[in-house]
Amino acid sequence: MARSAADRSIAPARDFFEQVGDMMILTGKTIVSAVRPPFPYGGEFILQFLFALRLCWFPLLISTVAFGYGAPGLQAANFLVLFGALDRLGGFFVLASIREFAPLVTAIVLAGVAGTAITADLGARKIREELDALQVLGVDPVKNLVVPRFLALMLVTGLFDIYALLFGIFGGIIATLVYHAPLGPFWATFFTNASVTDLWGSILKCTCYGAIIAIVCCYKGMTASGGAAGVGRAVNQAVVISFLGIFAFNYVFTQTLLATHPEINVIR
Amino acid sequence: MSENENDDRPLEPAERVKVVTEAAPGGEEEYRWHTGLNRPTGVPDAIEFIDVHKAFGRNKILKGLNLGLPEGKISMILGPSGTGKSVCIKHMVGLLYPDDGDVLVHGESVPNLRDEELFEMRKKFGVLFQDGALFGSMNLLDNVAFPLRQHTDKAEEEIMAIVDARLAEVGLTEAGDKMPNELSGGMRKRAGFARALVLDPDIVLFDEPDSGLDPVRTALLCELIQEIHQENGGAYTVITHDIMSARRVAEYIAVLWRGRIVESGPAEELFESDNDFVRQFLSGSAQGPLGME
Repeated sequence: MARSAADRSIAPARDFFEQVGDMMILTGKTIVSAVRPPFPYGGEFILQFLFALRLCWFPLLISTVAFGYGAPGLQAANFLVLFGALDRLGGFFVLASIREFAPLVTAIVLAGVAGTAITADLGARKIREELDALQVLGVDPVKNLVVPRFLALMLVTGLFDIYALLFGIFGGIIATLVYHAPLGPFWATFFTNASVTDLWGSILKCTCYGAIIAIVCCYKGMTASGGAAGVGRAVNQAVVISFLGIFAFNYVFTQTLLATHPEINVIR
Repeated sequence: MSENENDDRPLEPAERVKVVTEAAPGGEEEYRWHTGLNRPTGVPDAIEFIDVHKAFGRNKILKGLNLGLPEGKISMILGPSGTGKSVCIKHMVGLLYPDDGDVLVHGESVPNLRDEELFEMRKKFGVLFQDGALFGSMNLLDNVAFPLRQHTDKAEEEIMAIVDARLAEVGLTEAGDKMPNELSGGMRKRAGFARALVLDPDIVLFDEPDSGLDPVRTALLCELIQEIHQENGGAYTVITHDIMSARRVAEYIAVLWRGRIVESGPAEELFESDNDFVRQFLSGSAQGPLGME
């Protein structure tokens, strides 16, 4: 009796760690499948890349401008103007937009738009037994379905990061203009603080976010069960787990980057 | 599988009693009808289940399943709904692995195959899934042509000729350019049937081929299974709970209930079985040990 109650109480934690372990295994299999010939996933890779591009460019544009203007733009400007230091907004945007918000907003939009579409697509195929049929027909679903989505999402998040930081900074420009300040000081502090490390760090981080989203969403889709309701549950879980993974990875990545590149800690 | 596997002589009643005693140690009430009796067919088994156990969470589906499906025959796994028939099929093709025990296909242990070997082994199989499992992004022609394009070097004209012939066999000549979502359940099933057989596989598994079909089409499909089996040979396994289909096509029958085989053997012998459970199930009678539970 006591043992059964203990089993029940640890079951959710055990399931969670089992799923995390399965996702790690899927990541390993995906990387090995991606580099080991044959390479039958070229066509699917292009389709998935264009699919994510088509679905995400507009929501990302709106999100980054609005977020850049609202959060670091207006809030920071409101604070800086108290000290008569609105010119520091450009420098702050290096920290806020390039290092954090551009990758984060990109990941949130990609997970919400492309990631959910991937989970729903694979989940529906799982429910209709299409994935089983593929395997029985001798087709490896990891190589043919997961690898192209994994590579496409990594590439698209990396590229979208540049897009997001450009439009994010545009949000900061709007905030500066709203406070009737000239843009010269904004750009001066921006370029004084920006470094190549910031840029590659941002792109690398965002590319890894893409990998996390792809693995989580593919995994949840391919393990969906319980009919249409099960697919809905899988989509919901995929988004939540993607966000958790992204936030956890962000902590590790940022700590590592700051530790290994102490020069970017200095505010100039 | 059983001790009688390679023995051609008919079983004596005393031997059957002996098997009952072995299959139900301690008088397990749940398994009192499970004699585990395997009447000999005289041919080797293409697929063997050896003491297979499988559970999903707390739900135990297979509980020590011992089963052999003979080479060159149309076998049927019969049993009430929810007894693990589809789970058996998934074990055969390595889509599921047993928690305990072993599954052998032509003597090879499926759970012990590496991924590459498993994908190679699956080329022996043709599987008709319950709802056809057609690829939603392809029309019917491409669905049926998929295995040929994937595994053969045939020219496109030759592939299309084979696909047209297979679609004609299942009465879907006119539907070749339709997408799966434009088809009825029965049409999807028939298209899945055409795809399962397009490579003339050694082993064909049919997961409830009769569900969702009208009686006439069910009869025609059963005839088609027999015709194609006569042409190509191989081990065909049909999962169903439809007794009419069993009477039409089965050469070998295994009755599955509560995760174990109740009895198995040549169809004509099973239909004459003196096991109350088997007799009730194969006659579709309401009277007998099988209730609504």
